[in-house]
Amino acid sequence: MIDSLYLAWQYIRFNKFKTIILVASITLIAVLPLSLEILLAESERQLLSRAESTPLLIGTKGSALDLAMNSLYFDDEVPELLTMAAADRVYDTDLALPIPLYVRFQTRGHPIVGTTFDYFDFRKLKIAKGQPLTILGDCVLGAKVASELGLGPSDSLVSSPENLFDLAGVYPLKMQVVGVLEPNHSADDLAVFVDIKTAWVIQGLGHGHEDVTRTRDSTVVLKRSEGNVAANAKLFHYTEITEENLDGFHFHGDTSIYPVTAVIAVPHDEKSGTLLRGRYLESEDAQQIILPAEVIDGLLQNIFRIRNVLDAVIALVGLATVLVILLVFALSLRLRQREIQTIFKLGCRKAMIGRMLLAEILIILLVSGVLCSAVLGVVDVNAEELVRRLFVG
Amino acid sequence: MIMFVLREKNLMRPIHLLVMGLLLMLVTDASAGDRLSVYTVNYPLAYFAERIGGDQVEVVFPAPPDVDPAYWVPDQAIITDYQQADLILLNGANYAKWVSKVSLPRSKMIDTSRKFKDRYIYATDVTTHSHGAEGAHAHESLAFTTWLDLSLAKLQAAEVYKAMARKRPVSEMQFKQNFKALAEDLEKIHEGIKAVVANDPDRALLGSHPVYDYLSAGYGMHLKSVHWEPDEAPSFSQMNELKQVLEEHQAAYMLWEEVPIPVSVDQLKAKGVASVTFNPCGNRPENGDFMTVMKKNIDSLKIAYR
Repeated sequence: MIDSLYLAWQYIRFNKFKTIILVASITLIAVLPLSLEILLAESERQLLSRAESTPLLIGTKGSALDLAMNSLYFDDEVPELLTMAAADRVYDTDLALPIPLYVRFQTRGHPIVGTTFDYFDFRKLKIAKGQPLTILGDCVLGAKVASELGLGPSDSLVSSPENLFDLAGVYPLKMQVVGVLEPNHSADDLAVFVDIKTAWVIQGLGHGHEDVTRTRDSTVVLKRSEGNVAANAKLFHYTEITEENLDGFHFHGDTSIYPVTAVIAVPHDEKSGTLLRGRYLESEDAQQIILPAEVIDGLLQNIFRIRNVLDAVIALVGLATVLVILLVFALSLRLRQREIQTIFKLGCRKAMIGRMLLAEILIILLVSGVLCSAVLGVVDVNAEELVRRLFVG
Repeated sequence: MIMFVLREKNLMRPIHLLVMGLLLMLVTDASAGDRLSVYTVNYPLAYFAERIGGDQVEVVFPAPPDVDPAYWVPDQAIITDYQQADLILLNGANYAKWVSKVSLPRSKMIDTSRKFKDRYIYATDVTTHSHGAEGAHAHESLAFTTWLDLSLAKLQAAEVYKAMARKRPVSEMQFKQNFKALAEDLEKIHEGIKAVVANDPDRALLGSHPVYDYLSAGYGMHLKSVHWEPDEAPSFSQMNELKQVLEEHQAAYMLWEEVPIPVSVDQLKAKGVASVTFNPCGNRPENGDFMTVMKKNIDSLKIAYR
């Protein structure tokens, strides 16, 4: 056998170009589906781990996927809004801790996540630099936002207007960066966190201005009647919250009717979670409670369907490649007819010639296998980072 | 040799004392670490927490003694302390407006008046303001001294008890006993005020400040408030306003949050109005505690209803 291998090896060395093409074709055809398999398994793990760590999500009835994607990955698609009363409803049941989320606004291409202090404990987010949120107008940056924008504590960040053509809209809010989070390898790294009340200020539901009932500047007063002072457009609204003007900021009316996009419910135990889910079963209820893991799992099933199509395409391409390789070998045998006859005339048996050709194929497959393993090893080692780049950005 | 041993013994004594002191400090620190850290926004809640929690809790009410906690704003360091507490007891009813302007963990916040939201009192004589398309609105339309209706104070204390028991179930029995004793004391004050007012429920009274809404509503008092400060002499317009009020509300007594300056007392006296102090006790009193202040308040009411 060694002599057959030796002859096959010498033949392969002599026909380098043909061998390289054959090895590359076989390697590629094996690497593509297997790499895809590794990446999809990793993305499934990452997507599910975020969803599985979020026990229950409450939102307005509608697309559960929009609700989950917006609340878990801060997707642009804003689900139907619900009010802060939804969080109070959970709180009143005494079955779970409600963590409201208001993911609607953006700043320099990054989502502004309005939430409460409990979110940081819930996601185990730690402050790497600076301090946590303290007063209205403060913001804490995800690790990647901080590195991409080159910002840190004591810098500032301005909220982006929702609609550039809304000239009568709300003034953008200049937020004070007070802290930067440690990398969490999740969507949190790409978000800007503010207190939910700051998100309401961005929307214009809360605002700050001088006290018009006590002002000495008569030019800001449009009409003063008994019991009411009407201010005109000259009344200056603060666009930045500082310790000096904090007192002038206020919210109108009951904050329980203020909007949120979702409420994360963290049940005290499994039984509480089941009981809480039972409270949202009535068909007239305008709110829905979802298990994010189920929704994301459903999404992944769809991805798997797409993967099946991809697998079929790759299988067809693979089959075609195998046929081409067989053709190459067949043609190669034809071209080598005279060479084979010479070997035969030299006294070589037909079986020996067959072994030599088999050895050539074995060597090519072996080299392809080694190359394929090496590439897959690299993909496997870097799968986590690759998926994060693909999904997280 | 004997001298050396004696000297050695004398030298060792302070070292022994030091080691024992350090051990004692460690033990004390450990027990302090075990105590529930409870932060409050006013004194009545701090008092309730102290009474209910006993030695199981460390109650912190960080407002300085010379401020009205309703309008006091803590600095950044104190807000951080609030964030790190085990429980944050809030009065609700828009009391301590700074709470709505800072980030505090909801899991630790207990709004003690939330259960009786429907009994909140909205002030009617507030100047509203309007701008843009939002319509008229006012910023200070909710009365917040809820605890002056002692029946509401009892409900607030019950919320404090529930929150503590939830946070530390092992001490629930102790908390329950302490709460029961506190509730009985609050009930006595409640009955005391009720009995005094029952003498003459139609008697007209004045309040120097609009802080007596819950007292007035809770006990069916016939009370109207003005805006006078105990440390400031009344202005000409305030005297005029008083004159108008007295025309339709013939009160013989004005309730003050603190002892007023003699000028105010004299000017009121000239109008036939005597002064008595009814301290809402929003901040920690210089002497005594919540109960002693409330007992003094009953005595003041007895004078006003004599």
